[in-house]
Amino acid sequence: MRGRNLKPSRVYQTASALLASNSIPQPPVWYQTIGAIPPGEILTRSQAPQHREIRLSKKVRKPSKSFRPQQIVYEEDLLRKQFYNDHPWELARPRILLENDGRDGQNCNWANIRQPGRPLNGESVVQRQLWLMNEGQRQKDEAYDIARKEFYALRHEEEVERRVAKEEALWTGAHFGKGALDVGMGLEDKTYDEWLEWAKTNVADQAMTREAAYTSIPEAAEIDLGLDGEEQTELPAAA
Amino acid sequence: MILRNIALRHGRRALAPPLRKSFLRSLTTDTLTQDSISVEESIGQQQTSAYSHELPINPLHFSNPNNATRAKEGVKENYFLTKHLKKRTAKLGAVVEPVYVPDTFVRNPPKPEDVTLELLLASQSHLGHSTSLWNPANQRYIFGIRQGVHIISLEETAAHLRRAAKVVEGVAYHGGLILFVGTRAGQSSAVVKAAELAKGCHLFERWIPGTITNGDQLLAKCDLKVVDKDDTEITSGFETKVEEWTALKPDLVVCLNPLENYIMLHECGLNNIPTMGIIDTDADPTWVTYPIPANDDSIRCIQVIAGVLGRAGEEGQKKRLEAARTGTVTWLPPPGLGRPEVGGEAEKASFAAKSAQSTVVQGNSEASPVFTRQIGDSPEL
Repeated sequence: MRGRNLKPSRVYQTASALLASNSIPQPPVWYQTIGAIPPGEILTRSQAPQHREIRLSKKVRKPSKSFRPQQIVYEEDLLRKQFYNDHPWELARPRILLENDGRDGQNCNWANIRQPGRPLNGESVVQRQLWLMNEGQRQKDEAYDIARKEFYALRHEEEVERRVAKEEALWTGAHFGKGALDVGMGLEDKTYDEWLEWAKTNVADQAMTREAAYTSIPEAAEIDLGLDGEEQTELPAAA
Repeated sequence: MILRNIALRHGRRALAPPLRKSFLRSLTTDTLTQDSISVEESIGQQQTSAYSHELPINPLHFSNPNNATRAKEGVKENYFLTKHLKKRTAKLGAVVEPVYVPDTFVRNPPKPEDVTLELLLASQSHLGHSTSLWNPANQRYIFGIRQGVHIISLEETAAHLRRAAKVVEGVAYHGGLILFVGTRAGQSSAVVKAAELAKGCHLFERWIPGTITNGDQLLAKCDLKVVDKDDTEITSGFETKVEEWTALKPDLVVCLNPLENYIMLHECGLNNIPTMGIIDTDADPTWVTYPIPANDDSIRCIQVIAGVLGRAGEEGQKKRLEAARTGTVTWLPPPGLGRPEVGGEAEKASFAAKSAQSTVVQGNSEASPVFTRQIGDSPEL
């Protein structure tokens, strides 16, 4: 099927034609409403909202390029890029994108890096830096240093709180599970044991293939598996 | 806990009058001597009787008339005391900031007047799909590109939503049957609520192809009923007509996920039924009569849009019934219904018809003066 199906857009015109030709005895229920409120224009292109300053070149630009949607750029984007380049592990912190009523950002006064109802993260550093640049009349680097040092102090406070809370919990009888390092060591030990079993069977298999190649069978005592760790003997290479 | 501790905790100023001892006794949770005796008796009875049917029905004997009269005397004072305490202590403590609760838009949907750009932004209606997956026909609705996705313009969403709401209100005012369809997971509650408000029909399971084009087959088991201008069912006079009547078709279809319901929208196109749908950046705006450019993947956005359209339908129904009460009937009966067969007294009321489950039948009306004037002049919508 070629072309576009415009029947949904033309329900009113279709109904009018059916009425005029007496194909239907009375107008449909929605006829007056849709006649009074016609559907909006579709399929036509409009000039895309401009987010960047266009360099007016002397050459005639392609008209279709003015319809192309543009990247939305904010001045905070450069500040964010710098912050997250310098602090990549801040990207590992999960971010909640849920908003309350859409005015969450309008009630913030960034004279203080801590805002009620907002978490402390890279975004608060960036907004604080922007505030210092605009209201505080600072240079970009100076504002960045002030903002991030405030941020570091608060993160340090959080870490101290966490450490003290853990100590208090242990002191009052809490039991914690394995830490990340313990879990890692356990996995490594398990992998090593599995490898050990594999190594034993593999060495035995290789010894058997070697025996099959020779006419004489060497003594069992002469074979050194090198598993007791006393001597650093290399295992025989695969045949 | 004895009640007088509240006064000590909140300070003497929290309670202006001192409490009478009789109130304290009626409100106390301490064991009363009468109750302790009855408990011991019931324990004794439990031990002696082997079968449950031998136990008395009211083992604790709490229906003692002395207890009842004493409780009745204190109830009124107890009520006023509680109210006084609540009034005095409610504002103590922290002020809880209002936060978004996930089911607010289903329990109490917003009205078309409440639609603001901030509401749409918070409902994630501006988040489109990846730029490589777009439908270029939607270019006029796109504000820009951010993080590899198209951002739908909030003004476009708001304008199209308001237009769609006016259409829904108008169709409901003229007695049309509105079908709300939302077949994705999580859309069912919003769809049902919107249909309830607009007194229409809902669908949250798969649309069976042929429900409109082959309705007599697929909707054979659906009931039909004839109602009058005030939506009261007419039980006699149309029995044969109702049995023979063809399956009804909706007068307006609201689709919350048009990409999955292409067949339904195609059937509506074949039968000249107007549709409206939430058009994301990868959807086709020609599939529906009234596109609403918004994010169809966010449940919150769906709830807002379905809620707004449901409220608009509610408003239209309210206006229609108000007009009917004053004698103005805002719709025409369907052709072929005629007058009721058994009608010896020839009532002068004007009749209308609506279906029970999924179809609408418009009843014929008497030639009342109000009604003939209605056909002549042009109403608001």
